[in-house]
Amino acid sequence: MSVNVASNNAEQCEYALKDLYNVDDPEVGLNVVDLGLIYQLNFDEAGKKLDATMTLTTQFCPMGESITSNITQSLVNSFPGWEVNVNLTFEPPWDFSKISPEGRKFLGH
Amino acid sequence: MFGPMISGVQQTTNYRVVLPFYIYASISFFAGTILLLLHTEIFQVHFFNQYTLAITHTMALGWGTMIILGASHQLLPVLIEGKLESNPLAYTTFFFTAIGIPLLVAGFYVFHTDGWVLKSGAVLVNIGVIFYLLNVYSSAFNSTTRNVHAWYILTASFWLFSTTFFGLLLVWNFNTPILPSDSVSYLTLHAHLGIVGWFLLMVIGVGSRLIPMFLISKYVNNKMLWWIFGLVNAGLISFIFLKLWNTPAVYYYFSVALILAGVVLFGRHCIKAKNVRIRKGIDEQMKTSLLSVLQMLLPIAALLLVLLFLPADRYPNIGLLYGFCIFFGWITAIILGMTFKTLPFIVWNKVYHKRAHAGKTPVPKDLFSERVYHIMLLAYVSGFVVFIFGIIFINQLTLQIGAVCLLAAAALYLFNVGKTYFHQPEKV
Repeated sequence: MSVNVASNNAEQCEYALKDLYNVDDPEVGLNVVDLGLIYQLNFDEAGKKLDATMTLTTQFCPMGESITSNITQSLVNSFPGWEVNVNLTFEPPWDFSKISPEGRKFLGH
Repeated sequence: MFGPMISGVQQTTNYRVVLPFYIYASISFFAGTILLLLHTEIFQVHFFNQYTLAITHTMALGWGTMIILGASHQLLPVLIEGKLESNPLAYTTFFFTAIGIPLLVAGFYVFHTDGWVLKSGAVLVNIGVIFYLLNVYSSAFNSTTRNVHAWYILTASFWLFSTTFFGLLLVWNFNTPILPSDSVSYLTLHAHLGIVGWFLLMVIGVGSRLIPMFLISKYVNNKMLWWIFGLVNAGLISFIFLKLWNTPAVYYYFSVALILAGVVLFGRHCIKAKNVRIRKGIDEQMKTSLLSVLQMLLPIAALLLVLLFLPADRYPNIGLLYGFCIFFGWITAIILGMTFKTLPFIVWNKVYHKRAHAGKTPVPKDLFSERVYHIMLLAYVSGFVVFIFGIIFINQLTLQIGAVCLLAAAALYLFNVGKTYFHQPEKV
């Protein structure tokens, strides 16, 4: 499985992604990691702080609030006691290249 | 201990605002098909009669307009790139229109043109539409950007108010002459303000945003959408003037050509969005919606048939075919498809908003029965085609068979809307 998530801590990142694989984009039916919605996970182990940067397939996605909230909750559950900040960005905008090979297969490519 | 921080998220409209419109519309569709079955004989007489007026207003207001009002409250943030200004205004819109529509329909059905039922129905519908207009305009003008989609919804709302206000004048004009001619001579104008100004502009404005979004297509062509906007509005405005100046019917080709060009370009826009989609599979609901884009051409074909070959005074049923193709064809098909793209999301958001991280949850399309949807589609397409044959060959039995199929489609639609609405998460 190859995903393109930038992180400063490979081990913690893998742990966070394990739970994020359970969060789906409800319209596509594909999880947010394979869909390429997670751009970056930065861990500050000393300060117990996690900064996540994510996007949506379209800027005004009606499900955006729900997807963002579920990603946040998943990270809070994975790292209890940590300060979790989720930042939604559209720079760079999401496109086909962000989807993992597994995700592309799922979408019929 | 820190609470999680989320920044940059667009707020969606509360489901409580939207769902009553969907439920109301699905009941209206069912009621409209019952009225159709009870009065198939109207397709053998002139279109100006009490039952045609009752059925048309059930379909145009109770079905088409109510579901578009509901969906537009939900989709306004997507279209105007801002948030819905006021939930209370949306509830007020529902309150007045929900009471006004049955009164208006009942008034037409018994045809007491000077009675309080018809008049109060018309007034209440207009009050509801004014509150909708206020909500849409204040939402759009409070947003920092106004894109092409926002202009579609702003203009369509203006045409909706023009339609209902003109309708109110026509109701009064039945008994108190306030217009230069009798109300019947303005019916075509009243109908096209609604069909082209409200329904067509709204469907194109919303469809051009939603179809690429649901297909996960990155196709954008705002310049083309502005062209379509200009063509459809120019077609409608030219028709208003030609009609008011009582010009010969041949001049209407001009208006028809402009609107047809807009419809064809919208069809091209949808095909281009479909061709560059990222998601390869297209679900049944999207197929139904794309089919309805093709169905837009049917009423235009019926109209050209009247203008080119069949004088309307000798073939009055072609006028009825035109109206049927619009309300039971194009508008119904797009709603049948789009309901099961939007409603399951609204309910899913309500039920699973904060649960989807806790293991796999159903996807929105699991909230309704796909099997029932298939049977509904089959009943709808058969009913639509059979009914068209009934109108063309003026055959009562064929009309009744078609109406039964459409009633079955409406019952199945109502079942699936109810199933989605009452969805409960499985207990763990």
